[in-house]
Amino acid sequence: MKFQIAKEAFLDGLQQVQHVVSSRTTLPILSNVLIEASDSGLRLTTTDLDVGVSGTAEAEVSKTGSTTLPVKRLVNIIRELPSAEVEVSVDSKNIASIKSGPSFFKIIGLPDTEFPPLADFQDAKEYQIPQNLLRDGLKKTSYAISTDETRYVLNGIFTSFKEGKLTLVATDGRRLAMVDNDLEFPASHETDFIIPTKAVQELQRLLNSEGDLTLRLSDNQVCFEIGSSIIVSKLIEGNYPNYRQVIPAETKERLTVGREALLETVRRVSLLSSEKSNSVKLSFGANELGVAANSPDIGEANESVEVKYDGKEFAIAFNPDFLQAPLRALDDENVHLDLIDEMSPGVLRTEDAFLYVLMPMRVTS
Amino acid sequence: MKNEQDGGRTKEKETSAAVDSAGTSVEVWEKVKIKLNEYLSADAFSRWFKSAELIEDDERGPAVIGVNSDMQQIWIETNYMDEVRAAFAEGAGIHTQAFIRVLGEEVAPSVKKVARGSASVSEQVKVVKQDEESPKTVALERKLKKMGINPEFNFESFVVGDNSQFAHAACSAVASGEGRSFNPLFIHGRAGLGKTHLMSSIAQQLLISEPKAKVVFLTAEQFANEFIDAVRKGNLDSFRKSYRTADIMLIDDIQFLAGKERTQDEFFHTFSGLLNTRTQLVLTCDRPAHEIQQLEPRLVSRFESGLTVELQTPGFETRVAILQRKMEQWNVVLEDEVIFHIANLIQSNVRRLEGALTRVASFSFLSSEEMTIAKVDDLLRDLIRDENSRQITIDAIQKAICEQYDLSLADMSSRRRPSSIAFPRQIAMALSRQLTNHSLVEIGEAFGRRDHGTVIHACKRVEQEIEVNTEVKAVVEKLIAVLQR
Repeated sequence: MKFQIAKEAFLDGLQQVQHVVSSRTTLPILSNVLIEASDSGLRLTTTDLDVGVSGTAEAEVSKTGSTTLPVKRLVNIIRELPSAEVEVSVDSKNIASIKSGPSFFKIIGLPDTEFPPLADFQDAKEYQIPQNLLRDGLKKTSYAISTDETRYVLNGIFTSFKEGKLTLVATDGRRLAMVDNDLEFPASHETDFIIPTKAVQELQRLLNSEGDLTLRLSDNQVCFEIGSSIIVSKLIEGNYPNYRQVIPAETKERLTVGREALLETVRRVSLLSSEKSNSVKLSFGANELGVAANSPDIGEANESVEVKYDGKEFAIAFNPDFLQAPLRALDDENVHLDLIDEMSPGVLRTEDAFLYVLMPMRVTS
Repeated sequence: MKNEQDGGRTKEKETSAAVDSAGTSVEVWEKVKIKLNEYLSADAFSRWFKSAELIEDDERGPAVIGVNSDMQQIWIETNYMDEVRAAFAEGAGIHTQAFIRVLGEEVAPSVKKVARGSASVSEQVKVVKQDEESPKTVALERKLKKMGINPEFNFESFVVGDNSQFAHAACSAVASGEGRSFNPLFIHGRAGLGKTHLMSSIAQQLLISEPKAKVVFLTAEQFANEFIDAVRKGNLDSFRKSYRTADIMLIDDIQFLAGKERTQDEFFHTFSGLLNTRTQLVLTCDRPAHEIQQLEPRLVSRFESGLTVELQTPGFETRVAILQRKMEQWNVVLEDEVIFHIANLIQSNVRRLEGALTRVASFSFLSSEEMTIAKVDDLLRDLIRDENSRQITIDAIQKAICEQYDLSLADMSSRRRPSSIAFPRQIAMALSRQLTNHSLVEIGEAFGRRDHGTVIHACKRVEQEIEVNTEVKAVVEKLIAVLQR
């Protein structure tokens, strides 16, 4: 195998796929990237057996073939190369020679036959999804994914194709984020599944704002085709709990507030919340929202924001990080906060189909 | 509404003493629900607790609340456990740990988790499990789960070797009721050698032969926590009553009581009360009773008044037998050579041995590669390193000290005591105490047949010296680092 490639193109291609490789793997082959050189260029693939990522890079291939090389080391080498052109040749013993300007590297690889192949998706269900729709949906929900491994069904995003809608849900038991979008797909393709966190992270790296992606679904695996890149992932086995149970049916008070203003206020005020009393208190008055935090041994902060509100006066406390996370991920100008009382969960909504349920903290005053 | 609750509270005072025997779970749950309704908003209450039920609470042990959906379980567990605990205490006078279970799935798939990430293993394990499960064992299993006992810990699954023969025999005698003179039964041994396994087996065996027996099974930590809770809430009476009516009491990790004076005091009374009524007691500890520091002498002597058995580290043959038993259970096949190798690598701890086997077994499922010795070494790299570092010997410590202070090895056991020799020798004893598992007596022996009191003195002296003299502190820390590599 032999090819010539622009340094930047090679580096971009490798960086796209290197994140799935874990540094503490027990199988040496899993630290390697599979490089397949054909007449159309290079295909680069990595996997950790749960998630696999594959992308392409343009190259001038003079001799086709394939091999695997340690990806972290390769990236470090390519990044440091002095010249913009790189020439790579690999012999039959999987030893790669990398030449660039005056520098020369020789690194030892492993045969490509040892590399576990990505799953096959023949006769899989197929869905077309606009990339920006999925990208925004993941952005607005992924922060709420649970990291508690004992509840592994919650370690991913619940993805449902039902009744002409694509619904994404994430929850960790204290909060729940959901995005609903209309999407066309055949009625026979109605289903739901859970995409693990790692695949969500890879997806977020690769998704663009334009064009469609193809999602293929087999029994326990899912595949995303984004342009020439592919992400293949195992699904989380198990049933996602009925998240609709969490969403309060009634609301008593509604408050409308500028998203940026609320985010900035909460961020400032939360500087005075501490590990011990990690909460900010929101107090509602006529067209005014007071945000306050205090830690007995540190100090206190408060600030008021102009809002649209004409309900009763009351106060509720939230975890400031949990309150900021959705505000940061959204891009709407205004958000609505629906509340019942100080002990019931608050619901953050936007004009479109975003919804965030947040449990209040107990106020000890 | 208000009146009703107050009424409920006074009534509860009357009945609380009888809750264990007379209060049916329906009544208890009604009281708890009233409290919950008070603590929570109406919406939260009706959403999460209205349809919940208390699944039998007839015996001492954690209360189990049954709910209809996973989400109810998750949400209650993350957000409302404090309220649930408070409602049980305030409403029904019961201090208990509550568990939330989804109705209709009695047996949690605990085995599945062991084998996660390897579909083939989990399927095979499941098949094995289903064969064993008759309706009767499901009920038993539920009961054990409720008490916090791992149902897999029974006498059948315990591999008996030279190291554990005596302990095993004593435990089965107690479980079958023949061992009334072994009271209390005190099991000690290092971490991961099967103390909890044996104790759970006793509880399980007893529950099989006498399903109505009132078995109290808890860790010393739970005991301490419940005691503190009872002191805080001011209902020591019901706390005492609940323990002193047990038929058998099993307490795990008793060393946890060290340094907790009031808990020890309470425990002493409970303990004596039970001994006097000839109730069987079983205790486990990670060291012999007299070596638990900061434990009242009267407790020590009571612990030693019955039968003390020790679990030792298993020999090679036993380790291999354990591995083979596990492989049978998991339906895994590995070559003898590989099994021998694992047994050789991991010597000190059975739990770790099983962990190592899990790792090797699931790897051999995941990859098609042939399992070789080198591969095993690679997979268990971190365990091996840890294992080696654990085995610090007194000899090694003496050698390190001699090097540090430029002494001869003979000085370590000689009777000479100029401070240039005596103090390094004391450091060596203190380090032996800290870094090895030898007893005080054994350490004294190794340092020229000295008395165990000398060793204790040495430990204290070095401790004091470390506090006031930073130079000594630095040297000791350096020595520890060197010894642990």
